[in-house]
Amino acid sequence: MALERIGIASLLGGLLLAGCLPAPPAAPESQAPLEIAGVLSGETILSGEVLLVDDVLVPAGSRVVFRAGTTVRVRSAEGTQIDPEYLSSLTELLVRGTLVVQGTEESPVRFLPLTSPSEGEPAWAGILLDRATESAVEGARIEGAETGILCIDSSPLLRGNRITGCRYGIIAQQKSSPRILDNRLEAGEGGIFCWRGSNPYLYGNRIAGNREEGVFVDASSRPWLDRNEVTGNAIGLALYPRDLPFDSTEVRGNGEDIRFLGGGGGAP
Amino acid sequence: MRGLGTALLLLILSAAARGEGLHYRGENSLWQDTVWDGEVLVDGILTIPPGVTLHVRPGTTVRFTRRETNGDGIGEHELFIQGRLLASGTAEAPVRFTSAEVDPRPGDWGAINIMASEEENLLEQVEIEYAYRGFHAHFARASLADCRFRRNVRGLQFQESTVAIARCRVSDNLNGLQFRDSKVTLTDSVVEGNYWGVRCVYSELALSRCRVEGNLVNGVNLRDSSLSATANRISGNRKGLYLQRSRCEVTGNELLDNSEHGILLEESDCRVAANRIAGNGRAGVKWIDARGSLAGNRLDGNGTWALYNEGAGEADARGNWWGSADPGAIAAAIRDGEDLPGMGRVDASDPLEEPPILPKLELREDMEQR
Repeated sequence: MALERIGIASLLGGLLLAGCLPAPPAAPESQAPLEIAGVLSGETILSGEVLLVDDVLVPAGSRVVFRAGTTVRVRSAEGTQIDPEYLSSLTELLVRGTLVVQGTEESPVRFLPLTSPSEGEPAWAGILLDRATESAVEGARIEGAETGILCIDSSPLLRGNRITGCRYGIIAQQKSSPRILDNRLEAGEGGIFCWRGSNPYLYGNRIAGNREEGVFVDASSRPWLDRNEVTGNAIGLALYPRDLPFDSTEVRGNGEDIRFLGGGGGAP
Repeated sequence: MRGLGTALLLLILSAAARGEGLHYRGENSLWQDTVWDGEVLVDGILTIPPGVTLHVRPGTTVRFTRRETNGDGIGEHELFIQGRLLASGTAEAPVRFTSAEVDPRPGDWGAINIMASEEENLLEQVEIEYAYRGFHAHFARASLADCRFRRNVRGLQFQESTVAIARCRVSDNLNGLQFRDSKVTLTDSVVEGNYWGVRCVYSELALSRCRVEGNLVNGVNLRDSSLSATANRISGNRKGLYLQRSRCEVTGNELLDNSEHGILLEESDCRVAANRIAGNGRAGVKWIDARGSLAGNRLDGNGTWALYNEGAGEADARGNWWGSADPGAIAAAIRDGEDLPGMGRVDASDPLEEPPILPKLELREDMEQR
């Protein structure tokens, strides 16, 4: 476990400071994980074993970095949290500043539930980017969340992630245009959702085995679908726009490969 | 004599307020009934103790300075009311509670915080902005009419309270209205552009003739609560109406163009009748282990499904309009146990042969301007 602090940082509600280390040493196996919760102000660099014990907010102007190889375990909100501080009643990582996840194929950053979720219920909210800036999530393994990565008016780079068993893989809403490259989104309810004027670039993703839609596009969104493998979902592409270019040969083996939708469908 | 003395004091305070303005610094308390008029600056926490009434006259602007000592982004200066607040503006001269900062932002100040006030508190023609909680109450009774709550972290938040809200606009807050263990009537109002529109637990909500539009997460979300929703338009939210372990009567509403579902019922007992549910992205109605019935609704023109039964039990959806009376077309609009083993069936028998004539919504015409 390690935490590097640069500039002003204030962590509320239970962050245990592990020290100010210039470079994170390898964490001994027996070392207790760093517990974080509350507001992460300033610049925070995390590595090793981290435990999200409650909601975390990265406010506008602040930055948090997860080094390659970090494992973040998320404690589920106890009982019925009735006054969620932020966007979800589940434990959430909410970023209004900058998020940098520096995982690699060999050394991913893992976001995992601390305990197995009950059947069909997400264990935590996910990574929520709300007007976040200059953010990138690369090489992450995200499991058991309601939404793997939610982008609200945010346009991060999302590359090389594996999002597994999350209700929604990636949501882009409110004019978000993330670059979604080479990710795997599998075994959720749905893969990628484009809502409310969102225009992400989807390239090289594998979107497979979701119970409902692989990719959903509402009437006001215009994603660029470029060489994605969409297979094994109930519906491969569910689209309001009739004129989105995509390679239909990559959309196959779904219960229904392509469904064009009618009605308003999120028209602005 | 005492009455005369009190009247004189009120007159003096009122006159003072009209002059160079009242300033309250640090922790202060009003010890007698007080009238505010003109400009008031609260640079601290001001308590209105039990037995004391604060009257705020039309055109008064109350400003709060920002003080935030623990890094949580929540301003700490506020009105703490254990007595009674009567704030009455007019359409031409509303009362305004706002930030004193040059560059104001949500959360600059704490709240109009009503605690265990047994008397009826009243806010009419009042604008509240840049607070952490615009209106905040515990164990209180309040009536809010023709008010605006905007750019607060939470527009209204209360618990164990009875609150009547009429002709109000709650917009551009993080959470619009949030309450628990409360009894609430919300009528002729607009809740729009928030992240969460209305959310509550353990409460009774009567929602009528409101517009709940463009909220980023959910329009209306109840958990372990009861809802009566009549003649509302709930549109353009991510989910329109989302009930968890709740009871509801949803009649004569429009649930339109929500990104995900028009109505999502989880383990809830609901009667959904005579609504127009159209243009919703994924499902007009999603039904998960719910009870009750859908009848007399227009369910045509939704995205992926008109009705999706994801639970194990049957969904009673007899007597609706599906856009067609053709059994094949109706089956194509439904996802249920016919499609996936383990899911319950939908009973869509006795479909309507043509769209039902639904009552026209009578939303207040001047809502658009307020």
